Amino acid sequence: MTDQLTGAQILCRVLQELGVEYLFGYPGGAIMPFYHALPEYPSLRHILVRHEQAAAHAADGYGRATGRAGVCVATSGPGATNLVTGLATAHMDSAPVVAITGQVPRGMIGRDAFQETDIIGITLPITKHSCLVEDVSELADRLREAFAIATEGRPGPVLVDIPKDVQNQKGNWSERPAPEARSATRRVEIINDFASAAALIAAAQRPLLMVGHGVILADAYSEVNALAVKTGMPVITTLLGISAFPEAHELHLGMPGMHGEVHVNRAIQHADLIVGIGLRFDDRVTGNTSGFAPRARIVHLDLDPAEIGKNVPVAVGLVGDAKSLTSRLVDAVAARDCLAWRAEIERYRRDRNEAYRGDLSPESILRAIDDVTGGSATIVSDVGQHQMWVAKLYPYQQPNSHITSGGLGTMGFAVPAAMGVQLARPGTPVWAVSGDGGFQMNMQEIATMVQEKIPVKMAIFNNGYLGMVRQWQQFFHGRRYSATPIWSPDYVRLAEAYGIAGYRVETSRQTEEAIARANADPGPAVVEFMIEQEANVYPMIPPGGSLSEPIEAEPAPAG
Amino acid sequence: MAHVLSVLLDQDLLTLNRAMGVIRRRNLRVESLAVGPSGVPGAATLTLVVSADAGLADRLVRQLRKMSGTRRVAAFRSDEGVVRELALLRVHSPAGRHAEVAEVIALFGGSVVEEGEDELLVQVAGSNAFVLSFIRALEPFGIADLVRSGAVALERGGVAAFL
Repeated sequence: MTDQLTGAQILCRVLQELGVEYLFGYPGGAIMPFYHALPEYPSLRHILVRHEQAAAHAADGYGRATGRAGVCVATSGPGATNLVTGLATAHMDSAPVVAITGQVPRGMIGRDAFQETDIIGITLPITKHSCLVEDVSELADRLREAFAIATEGRPGPVLVDIPKDVQNQKGNWSERPAPEARSATRRVEIINDFASAAALIAAAQRPLLMVGHGVILADAYSEVNALAVKTGMPVITTLLGISAFPEAHELHLGMPGMHGEVHVNRAIQHADLIVGIGLRFDDRVTGNTSGFAPRARIVHLDLDPAEIGKNVPVAVGLVGDAKSLTSRLVDAVAARDCLAWRAEIERYRRDRNEAYRGDLSPESILRAIDDVTGGSATIVSDVGQHQMWVAKLYPYQQPNSHITSGGLGTMGFAVPAAMGVQLARPGTPVWAVSGDGGFQMNMQEIATMVQEKIPVKMAIFNNGYLGMVRQWQQFFHGRRYSATPIWSPDYVRLAEAYGIAGYRVETSRQTEEAIARANADPGPAVVEFMIEQEANVYPMIPPGGSLSEPIEAEPAPAG
Repeated sequence: MAHVLSVLLDQDLLTLNRAMGVIRRRNLRVESLAVGPSGVPGAATLTLVVSADAGLADRLVRQLRKMSGTRRVAAFRSDEGVVRELALLRVHSPAGRHAEVAEVIALFGGSVVEEGEDELLVQVAGSNAFVLSFIRALEPFGIADLVRSGAVALERGGVAAFL
């Protein structure tokens, strides 16, 4: 049966058909026909954000938490351009997002109409795919295609730009199963050489397993676990790979790279084999690639053939989904252990406690969040010093319980992304951890949380500085703290102004109670932690430096 | 060594735009660029000659392959293929030198497309070096205008990639 519907109604029908639960958006002129139709489709719950950037981050958070595409909606012009940072964030971290933007009517395109921007042109390098819907007859298929492309293979953001008159145009609508979606990746026949990979693993004296976001995206936790256990290879998790392998597992070493622990980076520098699964050997992981893992041959498993050999030379590349590849590699490898090698790595270990100064240390705060939530929390972090502490010090046990902006490093990500995560995981605690800088970039979203009843808990690590930049200034710019001291409002009173609970924690004695009260609150809550002003993240590999040359913590202060 | 990338794409400006973005982002030197219809309905051929070693060319191929709208990508060293371009020139041919100009054109296998009073519109096709020599040979007569198509190419003995 076919019905005559408007483009806006067809848009809503397709979103329903695809099982979309939430839309994060903001109305405006060129998207008004869609908003006019929306109330007819109550299964599509619209979350009115306070800034479109937050809509994109929330969709990203939802996408990372569920593996399904998060959806954001904006009007043409400034609405669409405000999505840009969020789309770039999702693109860098391979998160499935579909952005729907209104566009000026077809007849006005190219005339510099009011609120017209070439959003497709602007977002070309930061989207996996994009299209302008030129007629209502193609709308449903373009949307189905957009969702398929956003989630299949290596996920990414897709933008669908819909002129206002196409939203109003009447067209035929017929229910039908999703068609064979156009594939974004041409299937190239790849012969994966598992035997060679297995032989390298068998022959290695000092092998390491390094896992990234691809393991989380492919839900390959048990396969990676099986590979680690069967071979005894110590496991390193990259920033986006954190929570892909249980922190407390005896084979888990920690995070590598610029702020990786000394023993992790030293293990990399001494390794003779690195098996990398679902990671892209980003420069924050490798440091200067010419000095990266100088003795190691690399076996790289990745979904995206363009990643094999992109940043580091690869001895064996296996292309495919991390789950099936790892499972086949588990079958191909011989059981072994790495006891001598693990003992050697243990000798590289440093006591890190000295690095996290003060009574109210980041470590004690994070431990308290874990204790209070009984390990059930998802931690969404922002960007900066606290991000590294959250990455390194929180004891992640649940898969995919750590969400952060890794590749783009987007300050202001945590608070809005946590809204998407919270909606994806109702009834479970979601903590957005930010610094005082990043929090102020998107704190307007507290209003969204209040209006839409999204009970995100917001922790602010307040040191009065843009701490990571200040740390770089301390190390590399002669302690000239240019534009890094940052004033904050009174967050407790800010919370009060929004009608939510707010707590300030100044000593470690107050930590547990404040976290417990915030966590038990049925609504959103803010907890501000007045941490040591000039605490640094140690160790640190200077940008462009080799993993062998970390800056290590200063000695612990007397007393 | 220059590499040729021959890309079969959906024939629309957005796909072409996206492909150019993928190439531009990698910041390499593009020596020649040509776009035209292909033998496949709805698809266009984009031919690039780039200064890149085999590794770089291969990375570019993989980046282009994962773009939606890309149908096929072939890459080969420019000496492994037949690489040809077309040039159109308006060259002065004063009354007393007609024969001389005609001789140069004939030598290169060029042809006169249109004859004016003291000017000829000439076309020539060939390799980059051949077309350049032709232009050099006509320079003494005075070239009033010149356009070159950019190179198109097929790999020698390659499997059919574009039909």
